Amino acid sequence: MVQLRPRASRAPASASAMVDEGQPASEEAEHGLLLGQPSSGAAAEPLEEDGDGDDDLDDEAPEELTFASAQAEARAEERRVRETARRDKTLLKEKRKRREELFIEQKKRKLLPDTVLQKLTTASQTNIKKSPGKLKEDKSQKKNEECEKGNESKKVKEKIQSIGQNKSYLARRLKDQDLRDSRQQAAKAFIQNSLYGPGTNRTTVNKFLSLNNKRLPVKKAAAQFLNNGWGTQKKQNAKRFKRRWMVRKMKTSKK
Amino acid sequence: MGEFKVHRVRFFNYVPSGIRCVAYNNQSNRLAVSRTDGTVEIYNLSANYFQEKFFPGHESRATEALCWAKGQRLFSAGLNGEIIEYDLQALDIKYSMDAFGGPIWSMAASPSGSQLLVGCEDGSVKLFQINPDKIQFERNFDRQKSRILSLSWHPSGTHIAAGSIDYISVFDIKSGSAVHKMLVDRQYMGVSKRKCIIWGVAFLSDGTVISVDSAGKVQFWDSATGTLVKTHLVANADVQSIAVSDQEDSFVVGTAEGTVFHFQLVSVTSNSSEKQWVRTKPFQHHTHDVRTVAHSPTALISGGTDTHLVIRPLMEKVEVKNYDAALRKITFPHRRLISCSKKRQLLLFQFSHHLDLWRLGSTVATGKTSGKFLVPGKHGDTLPLSKDADHLLQLKTKVSKMPACLRSAVQIMFSEDSTKLFVASNQGSLHILRLLEGSFKHLHTFQAQSGTVESMCLLAVSPDGNWLAASGTSAGVHVYSVKRLKLHCTVPAYNFPVTALAIAPKTNNLVIAHSDQQIFEYSIPDKQYTEWSRAIQKQGFHHHWLQRDTPITHIGFHPKRPAHILLHDAYMFCIIDKSLPLPNDKTLLYNPLPPTNESDVIRRRTAHAFKISKKYKPLLFMDLLDEGTLVAVERPLDDIIAQLPPPIKKKKFGT
Repeated sequence: MVQLRPRASRAPASASAMVDEGQPASEEAEHGLLLGQPSSGAAAEPLEEDGDGDDDLDDEAPEELTFASAQAEARAEERRVRETARRDKTLLKEKRKRREELFIEQKKRKLLPDTVLQKLTTASQTNIKKSPGKLKEDKSQKKNEECEKGNESKKVKEKIQSIGQNKSYLARRLKDQDLRDSRQQAAKAFIQNSLYGPGTNRTTVNKFLSLNNKRLPVKKAAAQFLNNGWGTQKKQNAKRFKRRWMVRKMKTSKK
Repeated sequence: MGEFKVHRVRFFNYVPSGIRCVAYNNQSNRLAVSRTDGTVEIYNLSANYFQEKFFPGHESRATEALCWAKGQRLFSAGLNGEIIEYDLQALDIKYSMDAFGGPIWSMAASPSGSQLLVGCEDGSVKLFQINPDKIQFERNFDRQKSRILSLSWHPSGTHIAAGSIDYISVFDIKSGSAVHKMLVDRQYMGVSKRKCIIWGVAFLSDGTVISVDSAGKVQFWDSATGTLVKTHLVANADVQSIAVSDQEDSFVVGTAEGTVFHFQLVSVTSNSSEKQWVRTKPFQHHTHDVRTVAHSPTALISGGTDTHLVIRPLMEKVEVKNYDAALRKITFPHRRLISCSKKRQLLLFQFSHHLDLWRLGSTVATGKTSGKFLVPGKHGDTLPLSKDADHLLQLKTKVSKMPACLRSAVQIMFSEDSTKLFVASNQGSLHILRLLEGSFKHLHTFQAQSGTVESMCLLAVSPDGNWLAASGTSAGVHVYSVKRLKLHCTVPAYNFPVTALAIAPKTNNLVIAHSDQQIFEYSIPDKQYTEWSRAIQKQGFHHHWLQRDTPITHIGFHPKRPAHILLHDAYMFCIIDKSLPLPNDKTLLYNPLPPTNESDVIRRRTAHAFKISKKYKPLLFMDLLDEGTLVAVERPLDDIIAQLPPPIKKKKFGT
């Protein structure tokens, strides 16, 4: 009668399964193999061993393997597998840890030291409470308010430039400068329009200076009698024609 | 005197910019004037209306409003949206503060002088607190629909009137909200298409608001009820400015036609207590728009686009009826804008943003001149220049590195042999630099004496290079020895500012002209006034000499005749012959008869030291080139008017 291998308890299996959830399937499968077909496994091994090792001795009885040894072997194998799995896992963990640390370092390099950040956050809080007139940099106040809402590192950097740890330069946003210029232009246009635009009763300087001349006892001509800007195109054409005509005349007279 | 050939130069295209704002300070009797290109000038009205200080301008700083605050502080605001405070000691800008309301149209200081109100383009009125070192934003008032063009405080400081487009609002200071909104009628010559712009408002202590608008009306409103009381239709064009006197019994308005009207509070009948506002006097001293007026206790001041500053003393307010009560019209600058190189016959013209260098042509018998334009860059013999704090001439382009002490200079002068440069900085110190090929070497600095630089600094250097005279401190004119690099002596202080300085070639006499037309001659080697100077001070100048309007801006000398001094102001030039007797008040100052027509007897009797000619006027500069040649730079008034903006059309009968 073949001695049945006693059923190994599920406890170690479950423990190992808990340790390594990643590979329960393979282990259980293996274990299942071991457990499910103990006889075949136990029977299979010596058969294989016999089969492998014994080409010379054909008719010898197979070696008798005790169940304990087979069990021990199985356990050892189990342990080996578990350990490789655990080693793999730890290696992966380490790798991931290293990558994260690298990322954190990179991020830190981009940011400024903590002290500066702290100073800035407190400074920006107080700046918003104070009057807008206090800040010399004109658009930095608006930028402050924007920065308070979203405190990303890049915006913090811009804020730093505008508030200025060292006040040797002045940063201006060009978008706001265009707005200022356009408002100034609009104001100038308004004043020009209201004083000299249509509907105002303005006269030219020439007429103004000639007004006296008209009322003298001996009437004189206007201050600027000739209008030199009249017919410039015609005068230019005439000049060109005259030049060409002279050249033609010279040529024909030479012949 | 002798005969001279005269180069009459009329190609200096000097066009002053129009006056935009005027602010009168009662305590110091000074007038601040700002022009359309941003320059601010300060006139001392008690020193014969002399222009004391000058802040050069910039296009970005076009001022729209100017006001004095407590403690002699001057503020201006412009279309770039900034409020600027001026430092009157260092002749610089202290700081500029952005008001964040867009372009600023109007500004008013509170009656107490400690608060500043600003009216902006976006319709907001902002209140600023004036602190000892800076101004600080306090709060905004209720925002209005359109731009605030004029502001006025109630004398008690509780209410404000703000004029805008088509309406006037009255604000309460404590609550910051608009109490009344008074709508102004648009009708202009029967047509109501154009918007009515309220150019000026004034708040009286009895609650009346006076407004002037672009329809030519002067209107009186009651601020308690917000209703119109009276309308005066004063002009066919805009009425652009208004100023009320301190006693609130008269005010003055300026129109776009150039007329200035004086309104007075007059009793209805001779013995009734009821008073009403009556338009009393019209003055037509301007040809173009009168954009600003001011009311001092004794005079009406007006200025406008035609660049004249007119000060009209009111006869009923003036105590002594002498020449002080005459009309003053300031057209030409009180500083010298032209310098001349005698050896090389070059003229340097100073404009606001560039310099022109011209060469005088050779003269034919007719005495005409022709000028050729040269590339600027050569420096001639003596080039005194006063520059603005922004840039340092074309010297900067030649020299690579400037010494750090020379930040901004008020005056620069070269020595006679062009090896040394004297720079007067705006901190009150005087620097001497040696000019080498392409670089500077700092030789010495004379520090300011105790007391600050108060007026324009003038420099004069002696032709032999030994002495340097500098005016500008209230302690008198300092004379420094250039050889020994120390202070030699100080001319005793005089209470009127110096308008011109020069040192004579051989005798080393320092001739000083003051703004009250007094002339002193001081001998530098002897450290005392000369005999001639004492004689003329004892006798006193001729009263016609003292009644001249314009200050003497340049003094020159004859190289061969040490007894001759050449001076000029805007309407005459004079050669003083120290060997001849001095005129007393009974003789004619301006000798009308030419010397060749007189007989010997008359010539001996009437000959006096002051030989005055009014042939070339208006003069900007006159100097002796060499023994037989004079150069006179004139600027006819018509040439200036021809380049001004268009005036309002006036209909004259028969044209």
